[in-house]
Amino acid sequence: MTDQTEALPRGVSRHPFVDQLAKAFRTNKLTWVGAVIFVLIVLVAIAAPLLSPHDPLQQNILHRLKGPGPEFWLGTDAYGRDILSRLLYGARVSLIIGVAAIGSAMVIGSAIGVVAGYYGGKVDLVIMQAMDVLLAFPALILGLIVVAMLGPSMENLIIAISLTAIPPFARIARAPTIVVKERDYIEACRALGYGDLRIMTLHVLPNVLSEILVMGSLWLATAIRVEASLSFIGLGVKPPTASWGGMIREGFENILDNIWLSIFPSLAILLVVFSLNLLGDGLRDAIDPRTRSDA
Amino acid sequence: MSDPLLRVRDLRTHFRVKRGFPNPETVTVRALDEISFEVKRGEAFGLVGESGCGKSTAGRSILRLVEPDSGSIEFDGEDVLRADKARMRALRRRLQIIFQDPYSSLNPRMRIGTALAEPLLVHGIMGKAEAAERVRDLLVEVGLPRDAGIRFPHEFSGGQRQRLGIARALTLNPELIIADEPVSALDVSIQSQILMLLRNLQETHDLSFIFISHDLGVVRYFCQVMAVMYLGRIVEKGPIPRIFDEPLHPYTVMLRDASPVPDPTARKAFERIEGEVPSAINPPSGCHFHPRCKHATELCRKVYPKWMEVDAQRGVACHLYDPASGMSPKP
Amino acid sequence: MTAPATPAPVLDVWNLTTSFRIEGTWYPAVRGISFALAPNETLALVGESGCGKSMTALSILGLVPTANGRVEADGIMFEGRDLARLSDEEMREVRGNGISMIFQEPMTSLNPVLTIGFQVTEALIYHQNLSRAEAEREALALLDLVKIPSAKSRFREYPHQFSGGMRQRVMIAMALACRPKVILADEPTTALDVTIQAQILALLNELKAETGMSMIFITHNLGVVAALADRVAVMYAGDIVEIASVGELFARPTHPYTEALLRSIPRSDRDTAELHTIPGAVPPIHRMPKGCRFAARCPLAQDICRAMDPPLEPLDPESPHAVRCWVRGGHDLAALTEDANV
Repeated sequence: MTDQTEALPRGVSRHPFVDQLAKAFRTNKLTWVGAVIFVLIVLVAIAAPLLSPHDPLQQNILHRLKGPGPEFWLGTDAYGRDILSRLLYGARVSLIIGVAAIGSAMVIGSAIGVVAGYYGGKVDLVIMQAMDVLLAFPALILGLIVVAMLGPSMENLIIAISLTAIPPFARIARAPTIVVKERDYIEACRALGYGDLRIMTLHVLPNVLSEILVMGSLWLATAIRVEASLSFIGLGVKPPTASWGGMIREGFENILDNIWLSIFPSLAILLVVFSLNLLGDGLRDAIDPRTRSDA
Repeated sequence: MSDPLLRVRDLRTHFRVKRGFPNPETVTVRALDEISFEVKRGEAFGLVGESGCGKSTAGRSILRLVEPDSGSIEFDGEDVLRADKARMRALRRRLQIIFQDPYSSLNPRMRIGTALAEPLLVHGIMGKAEAAERVRDLLVEVGLPRDAGIRFPHEFSGGQRQRLGIARALTLNPELIIADEPVSALDVSIQSQILMLLRNLQETHDLSFIFISHDLGVVRYFCQVMAVMYLGRIVEKGPIPRIFDEPLHPYTVMLRDASPVPDPTARKAFERIEGEVPSAINPPSGCHFHPRCKHATELCRKVYPKWMEVDAQRGVACHLYDPASGMSPKP
Repeated sequence: MTAPATPAPVLDVWNLTTSFRIEGTWYPAVRGISFALAPNETLALVGESGCGKSMTALSILGLVPTANGRVEADGIMFEGRDLARLSDEEMREVRGNGISMIFQEPMTSLNPVLTIGFQVTEALIYHQNLSRAEAEREALALLDLVKIPSAKSRFREYPHQFSGGMRQRVMIAMALACRPKVILADEPTTALDVTIQAQILALLNELKAETGMSMIFITHNLGVVAALADRVAVMYAGDIVEIASVGELFARPTHPYTEALLRSIPRSDRDTAELHTIPGAVPPIHRMPKGCRFAARCPLAQDICRAMDPPLEPLDPESPHAVRCWVRGGHDLAALTEDANV
């Protein structure tokens, strides 16, 4: 009945989220570097049993405190355990704790943030005041308190780190929610009779997700650092399980005899944190509102 | 004539905002003050005024997107303000809205097809496959390609997005559409396309409209009746084109004279247009328009004028209107 | 409305082309336009978004971002100098002292943390080398000139305490600070309410009469054009498609686009039974068709329109009314088609 107006662009129609990702990798080569290193570390952690030349827990007094060499590439520790194998298995611990802690913090924090931002008013006030109280503690201190209360174990470490990361995620989710909820399409949703839950999950959340994911990649680095710090002061995973923070501490006792013991796990932590920061920065630039097409 | 489709009585919406630093105080913005009007079935009712006059708030209050403080809204005999959640959901199928900004009115992360099918699924009107078919029909109806549903909003131009906004409002087969400045953000050539589309849809779907606009030309073209608002109140109401030919309220006169007309031979002197719209937080005493009105008297400065019915169709709120002679002050 | 014996133009633009780079390729947003601005004349550049009207103004003032933009012209003559060939330093001087610009957004063009008085005073000190006391006196006079009520008491107020219309008045005062010969006004009333718009238009008209300056007024609103222009250039997709005196243009719109545009405006002063619509939309800058850029939307389009770009030519040699159209421009179509076929 009406004239067809204008031609639409041809070709496939990509999700704007995919566009953003593509842009992050196209415009910034360092994003590639970060992503490749991180993916390699994840693959190595998954394949640890296949890659490890030795059993990470096998003690052998005869081989204690050896420097890097042909049999033990990165040397051995005070109990004669192979450092390389322990590093590979330690990557699993660090990543599992980091991903589990940040994953849960992301889900809980975003939910809290979106609810607070969407409803506003008193709900917002109460929730965000509570978050601010949590936020007032430095991550390490808060983790320390929680682990000290619950006792050191992998689960408690995850809970502790997750708890410290919830408030920042709530904050990061709340800010764009407040912007998005003023958009006409949210009002259209209400006019069409949608429930609040539907509006928040299907119409608000996808539009604040990029910000949350960027934050996630940056906080994953923090989580791995906090895990290492807690393990370093003995509040982490119980020995003899290998964890990077624990290895640094064990190496610390013999640092004058064999510097490698601490150096290698430190480098591993540095590498993970570095790759995640590169990745996170690249993604953040791509979703910067100044360069966003849908802003 | 049958009963009106929509009857608004003494609708009032005030917003309370905190203002000031370091000691914030709560002030009241009188966005909407006791407005009353009726919309007949099949009619396009124009709501006209400058920014801050409350015309958008009126539209949103009728849909209860903002909760009015008092007054009544009757839609097809049903009290909208007293409707509970379930009733309101049913009413929402019959009352819809179109927005001004085509860039903010669509969810950027949702495919058009999904967004347009959603209302049908949420209200349980039809199944997925049937809804998809209906969406394709709707797209064609608003002048877009049948297969546009797989695309995301950013792939469409402003005019096309406005068509999508219209398609969304149509999904539930509403009876009354509140169109809030639907063509103000568009270029002239696109504006006329959208106006034609709306007019066609009005006929084919037997729609009624509340058409909110600041553009008198657009309202004159699209509407049969209009109300002029100033600082939260309706100051004059009447059928088009009578209200253009013989405006009764001095503000209507000012608005008409200020509206640019594409005709250099009709160049007007703009001297009569004075002052600015005061704040709705602290409206002037008496008739809100008196500080800008050449004819203002002592009475105008003190007492807000009563609404006077001129005849069955027209009304005006002005002390200077003389019901006996049917005359207003000629400027 | 008849053209007087042509005085020397204040501003003479020859063959101005402004291009933008999109993913490595240069596309012209303004395509070789030429026009002259007479003393004390208001020339309206009118067109829809993306037609190049704002770009024209920015190009004249040398404000096109150089990273992805490029301005070429055979000449932008102003007071015997070619603006296209001035250094940045010289251009800055022209921007303040010869030509000034008023933008659409009175909200963002003023610095929110400085007082109105301070900002106007600064402009005067910068451009006219006045002492602060002199500049303040002059600033106050300017604010009075643009009719800001009780300007004296509002001198120390901040932009957020001013309404949109008042802020636009301040912008106009700042544009006048250096007594420009030419004002470029880019949609200065678009963000304002109609009654405020009417006041600003009246003010600009009055100032023009008082100071004898010329004005290029950029707008999409043909109603506004009719209210204040002396001459009108209609732009479409980077071209001037029609240029004529305001009376002539509205009485005898000749380009099919101008004609269609005028017929698609719903008017407030009379009933419009049937609204004309222009099918389609302006093609995007990177997908411009060959030939006349309006051909795809034009009811009169012939084969030649789709093959060759028409020139902007006067309707008859004496006429100041020029049109860029094969069909309506007084061309011998039969001869042209033959030429094209040979």
